[in-house]
Amino acid sequence: MSSQNLELTIGWLYPTLMSTYGDRGNVITIERRAEWRGYDVKVLPLDQNATAADIKTVDVIVGGGAQDRQQEIVMRDLQGAKADAMREKIENGTPGVFTCGSPQLLGHYYEPGLGQRIDGLGILDLVSVHPGENTKRCIGNLVIEVTASRLARDLKEMTGSTPYLVGFENHGGRTKLGKVEALGRVVYGLGNNGEDGTEGAFYQNAIATYSHGPLLPKNPFVADWLIQTALRLKYQQEISLKPFDDSLAAQAREAMFKRLKVSLPAAAAAKV
Amino acid sequence: MGNKIQFIDRLRLGFAVSVAKSVTFIVRSLRLGAASVLPGSIARRIEPRLLQLLSQQVKNGVILIAGTNGKTTTALLLCTILERKGFRVTHNSTGANLENGLMTALLESTNLLGTLNTDYAILEVDENIVPRVLAPLQPRIILCLNLFRDQLDRYGEVDTISKRWTKVISTLPPETVVIPNADDPTLSNLGQQLPQRVLFFGLNEPEHYLEAIPHAVDSIYCPKCGHSLDYKGVYLSHLGDFTCPQCGFSKSKPTLESSEWSQILVGLYNKYNTLAAATAAIELGVDEVTIRDTINTFQAAFGRAEDLVINGKRVRILLSKNPVGTNETIRVVTQSTDKTTLLVLNDRTPDGTDVSWIWDVDTEKLVERGGTLVVSGDRVYDMALRLRYSQKSPESNLNLIVEEDLRQAIATALEHTPENETLHILPTYSAMLEVREVLTGRKIL
Repeated sequence: MSSQNLELTIGWLYPTLMSTYGDRGNVITIERRAEWRGYDVKVLPLDQNATAADIKTVDVIVGGGAQDRQQEIVMRDLQGAKADAMREKIENGTPGVFTCGSPQLLGHYYEPGLGQRIDGLGILDLVSVHPGENTKRCIGNLVIEVTASRLARDLKEMTGSTPYLVGFENHGGRTKLGKVEALGRVVYGLGNNGEDGTEGAFYQNAIATYSHGPLLPKNPFVADWLIQTALRLKYQQEISLKPFDDSLAAQAREAMFKRLKVSLPAAAAAKV
Repeated sequence: MGNKIQFIDRLRLGFAVSVAKSVTFIVRSLRLGAASVLPGSIARRIEPRLLQLLSQQVKNGVILIAGTNGKTTTALLLCTILERKGFRVTHNSTGANLENGLMTALLESTNLLGTLNTDYAILEVDENIVPRVLAPLQPRIILCLNLFRDQLDRYGEVDTISKRWTKVISTLPPETVVIPNADDPTLSNLGQQLPQRVLFFGLNEPEHYLEAIPHAVDSIYCPKCGHSLDYKGVYLSHLGDFTCPQCGFSKSKPTLESSEWSQILVGLYNKYNTLAAATAAIELGVDEVTIRDTINTFQAAFGRAEDLVINGKRVRILLSKNPVGTNETIRVVTQSTDKTTLLVLNDRTPDGTDVSWIWDVDTEKLVERGGTLVVSGDRVYDMALRLRYSQKSPESNLNLIVEEDLRQAIATALEHTPENETLHILPTYSAMLEVREVLTGRKIL
């Protein structure tokens, strides 16, 4: 199958309501990396105007963060058939990257610093609580080692080394995981709650993380994993992706590891 | 206003002031910096009510300027207008806009007896400390310029800030004059709720509408009922002509007819700054002729559309510290024919440590036109990646030069700039200070 025939639809959760701080970078990274390889890419906003049928057509889902008021508007809209469609997509393995507020939305509930508890979709077995206006936000550079077993194995296969993700976290809420697998363990930073050393969650092919704004440019192998997984699921065959010159991302990662004085196995640091 | 200070307060104030002045003298004679924060910080320990004791001595009142973008330029314009009328004006002109910076600025105009001798104090105030300083400052006028996402790592969310502002401004005396931006839904709503006298400023020039709503938009939902706002058009970010189809909330009517006013410097954002300062100046009784003359002869504050000539080449510095501001500076660059641009991205405390905002900037517009883009700064690779992902194809006509060393980056950018063109430099705040230091060979702060 030539790449010209392949189509990829990126479903973007509530672009105007849930893009607080650079989250769009994840959409752009997937979009460009697929386009540069010659695929036909469509970005479909999954907002108030979208239907459950629209949700069912997407191949990969990207969700960012929202302010509390916006998150409430989203939760009011994502009910009934639309919520069911979203649940079905994730349960059936549609890959996605959910940063910042989105994991809270996929979890059981989020309790904001002010105001009422906001119920989530209950897809991920996790809960998030904001400990109050006067509690410090979790802010700063973040490095994690991916430990979610299947994802870690896939990424290791793609890059030939232990997968480390470089990001930036900025969240008031603290997340506690239930039975869901963590995305990784914190090497530098605070992660889900600053206490148990876990960061994010991984369920079916959904990647949830506090590493926001954005995760993918500096971890391009995750973007490629999402694209590859989406195409494999859609076309029911193995698709091999053309590699790019990702030296800028490699330099960005090295610069950050050096600055944070994070020492990784030499092979892992250089690979992207 | 007035001079109603108790004798004992006066003594302690005098002591605090003399200590502060000694600190300033020492810092400056040892060339340790401009002493824009430390004196206030020390004096405040001696007299905790310093801000109140100083500001109540300002003869004609304190004018407070808050907002995400444009504080320094608006303050400088208003300052220039008032000085032209012969008033003595105190202004925190170095941009130090937290409490210690405000106090240091006021101390500058205070004599050793603790007497503040000034007609007006124009204070730029960081949006987050507005609630803390309103009570001690008792401003006569509050200018609310805009509220954009900026430095979320420090402050959290736009909604939270506007709620705090409304709450605390409502407690000020009824004669306080509040001048909010009518085109900013959050601030229009704030103005409509206040019991005080409110004058709005804003644009009424549909010919300046953007073609599409830019990505970096914060409030396009009704601040009253949460429904999506209908926009007739957008001037920049979420500033525009809006109504709410559900509850009827809409843009307030500005006092001045914007089309009848020219603007300072380049860029539509400076039109807002012009209108804000002009509305305040008229309220203070300044005649329109003086205001218009000042606008027409205005010079930029450092780093804000500041023009320099370096080695015979023109350089324009356009401070670019958040998505909205940067989209506007990109609009200025792309409207020119100049093809060399230097972007410098730092992530120090004054810049905000989170650089994710660059992904909300529409850098595609800059990349699409080709030319040479040089990048530098602490987060040079983040910026380089943003520009790389702005390219429609993996190969493009863009000449992207990544240079960690700022001095070298500036030299390279200047080399690529032809004699008859202008080099545009888009730095974040701390990067702007560094760029100026390299270009002019001296430190600012």
